[in-house]
Amino acid sequence: MKNEEVRILLGNVAIARGIIESGCHVVTSYPGTPSSEIIPAVVSFKKELGLDTYIEWSTNEKVAFDNALAASLTGKRAAVAMKQVGLNVASDSLMSSAYTGVVGGLVVISCDDPGPHSSQTEQDSRFYAMFAKIPVFDPSTPQEAKEMVKAAFELSEEFQIPVLLRPTIRVSHGKQNVKLEPPRILDRPADFVKDPARWAATPRFRLILHTKLNEILSKIQEKFEKDTRWNVEVGSPRNYTLGIITCSSSFVAILDLLEEFGLNEDISLLKIGTPYPLPKKKIAEYIKRHDKVLVIEEPDSVIELLINDKSKVLGRLSGHVPLQGELSPEVLYGILSQLLSDLGIAKLEMISDPELEKLVEDLDLPVRRPTLCAGCPERAAFFAIKKAFPKGIYPSDIGCYTLGLNLGAVDTVLDMGAGITFASGFYQAYHQDGNDIPIISTMGDSTFYHSGTSSLLNAVYNNARFILVILDNEITAMTGMQPTPGIGITADGSEGQSIPLEELIRGCGIQWLRTIDPYDVKELLSLLKEAREYTQKEDGGIAVIVARHPCLIRYPDVCQEKPVKVTITEECNGCMYCVDFFECPALKPDKEEDLVRIDRTLCTDCGVCVQVCPREAIVPAETKGKNS
Amino acid sequence: MIKTQIILAGIGGQGILFASRIFSELGLKLGLNVLGSETHGMSQRGGSVLSHLKLGNFHSPLIHTGAADILYSFAEEETYRSLKFLRNGGVCFVNLENSKRFDPAILSHLKGKKVGFRTFDANEAAAQIGFARSTNIVLIGYSVGTGLIPFVYDDIKSALESVSRKKELEVNLKAFEIGFLKGKS
Repeated sequence: MKNEEVRILLGNVAIARGIIESGCHVVTSYPGTPSSEIIPAVVSFKKELGLDTYIEWSTNEKVAFDNALAASLTGKRAAVAMKQVGLNVASDSLMSSAYTGVVGGLVVISCDDPGPHSSQTEQDSRFYAMFAKIPVFDPSTPQEAKEMVKAAFELSEEFQIPVLLRPTIRVSHGKQNVKLEPPRILDRPADFVKDPARWAATPRFRLILHTKLNEILSKIQEKFEKDTRWNVEVGSPRNYTLGIITCSSSFVAILDLLEEFGLNEDISLLKIGTPYPLPKKKIAEYIKRHDKVLVIEEPDSVIELLINDKSKVLGRLSGHVPLQGELSPEVLYGILSQLLSDLGIAKLEMISDPELEKLVEDLDLPVRRPTLCAGCPERAAFFAIKKAFPKGIYPSDIGCYTLGLNLGAVDTVLDMGAGITFASGFYQAYHQDGNDIPIISTMGDSTFYHSGTSSLLNAVYNNARFILVILDNEITAMTGMQPTPGIGITADGSEGQSIPLEELIRGCGIQWLRTIDPYDVKELLSLLKEAREYTQKEDGGIAVIVARHPCLIRYPDVCQEKPVKVTITEECNGCMYCVDFFECPALKPDKEEDLVRIDRTLCTDCGVCVQVCPREAIVPAETKGKNS
Repeated sequence: MIKTQIILAGIGGQGILFASRIFSELGLKLGLNVLGSETHGMSQRGGSVLSHLKLGNFHSPLIHTGAADILYSFAEEETYRSLKFLRNGGVCFVNLENSKRFDPAILSHLKGKKVGFRTFDANEAAAQIGFARSTNIVLIGYSVGTGLIPFVYDDIKSALESVSRKKELEVNLKAFEIGFLKGKS
């Protein structure tokens, strides 16, 4: 490697680089925005540097956590990465591992999503650090995230405790010029030292472990009190009217705003990089020097809650900071300009242009909602489901197919796995009153491998009846095309063992199982009716349809095997049925002509819409040739 | 010392991340600090895509409203949505079939803010050379040709060369050249 090599790295790639530079041996993860880019980047650095790092896409976050923890117990360094709601899934292991501790360094990376941009909650992972009683590092930039990964490994080994790294989405998906350093090579053959009182501790021993954990935590707190690398005061104000305690992406955004408005000499910043255990003395001393102190952190308040004397503190509790939503530079500007004006420090120049915003608002631009891609096989499946059972209940799940919402074929999205548990739950609630309504659950292949089996086992065991359509596009698509156990390719591209969905489904006790290509809408419609009959038969049960067609973003060549170029004939009367109920982005309403047109730049020649048009006005191109 | 803030706006699939990579690489070559922010995940599925890029001494990757020096917009609707980012006296380059279609009230408002407003049918120019997907590069080439941005031909060309995949290099350079010539004329 060149000396002083600098590359532009995405925050998640910088985190991956930190993992590699720390000499980490084992890296596991389940994909989820905003964490998904970490594993592919570890794979790419491993290949570039010729390392033998073991890397896996695990089937879910808890599984990923346990596999990394076991590696740590053998003395190796291990890292596990996930999105914030993934930590909910892994939380059982996290809580317990705080007590048992680790041997080799274990760094848990949980990426938060204030906004939220791509998540079901705005939860703050730092609460998990507090809840589990483990230390947390909170980076503000990609460069700092890389350095913090290395510090986290050191801390984890010094105190034999798992350490959390909590990047927010603006760090994970921010990019920056980052200095690269060579990887550490740590020769650590696996050596698990048996110690049942620790690794298999019964409740009596757990009390001892808890006592030790509390001792460790107070030592770490002392260490953080003295630390000047992550917890640092910025600026040398002329007066102490207002101070700001802040962290993560908010810290750098505030820094830019203060520089832009020339306020560096009026306001000092205390940047906290280790919010738990909180360096309370340092903070108390900082607050003492100021008339007022504003606490800015996201997505929730951890530092503010942990400050003992809040008499001078302004933040969420005092109503100065919004309780939800991302702290964008505009929101931060709003908080600052109001406060600076109230305190008589400064009047900030306006950054927005209300006149322009009003002009744009008056244009009444259509909202651009996310949508399934043109040609997506999942759209075809949703269309058929909605058509077959217009009055059904449609529990669904997390993935691209959440966007079946747009076709009115998704009623619920709770968390990974609830597509099936909601189906059984709905069934039992209606069945109790003697009512039978069609319940059609949809779930993607990766989600099914993640948490579908336990839900399905439960449903079969307890005699639930519904239709489950597994949308198998042979990839984890939404998060960026990660492989699944179904295709049996592992994280670094090497071959693993494929576990076919059908075997797994049968193993859950399912007797009625069919596989179909959803592009064949007519066949799928008749299969759905057959499935419904089976759920109503005396000796029937749960019917499962695997709707299999590869994702056409991931496998473009496969999808164009049998292209059907379509065209719209004069039969089109502009009824907009296809636009409203099929919702393909390549079918565009032409309002002037009162017709529908095909956007050739988007159309993938899947030909599914031929089966959709009630007037048969969408036809394969050659058919038109014959007619005209 | 150069301090430049660039917003790139469009919709998923228009190559905005690649366009942003050209400017990141440019920053690296010029020895500037580079900070940027990207859109991933659900928001990528046909939704609006916005890329922030800051070259020079900044700390945060995000650009606030009224601060961008340059706006590249690859889709008409997204132009309206992202104009708020542009500062007074900033410059914007809009990929637009027909410049007459642009809202006149907004156009005159921008004039009042001394915004340099340039529209150019980059789709058409890209299609002419047979590579519809290189609209992004055509528009960047165009902006260099106008001389309205603080970066020169050689630097951007060399950044483009560095980030292009081998098999796409020739096409990319051609797209850049076409755009550049249109911008100059």
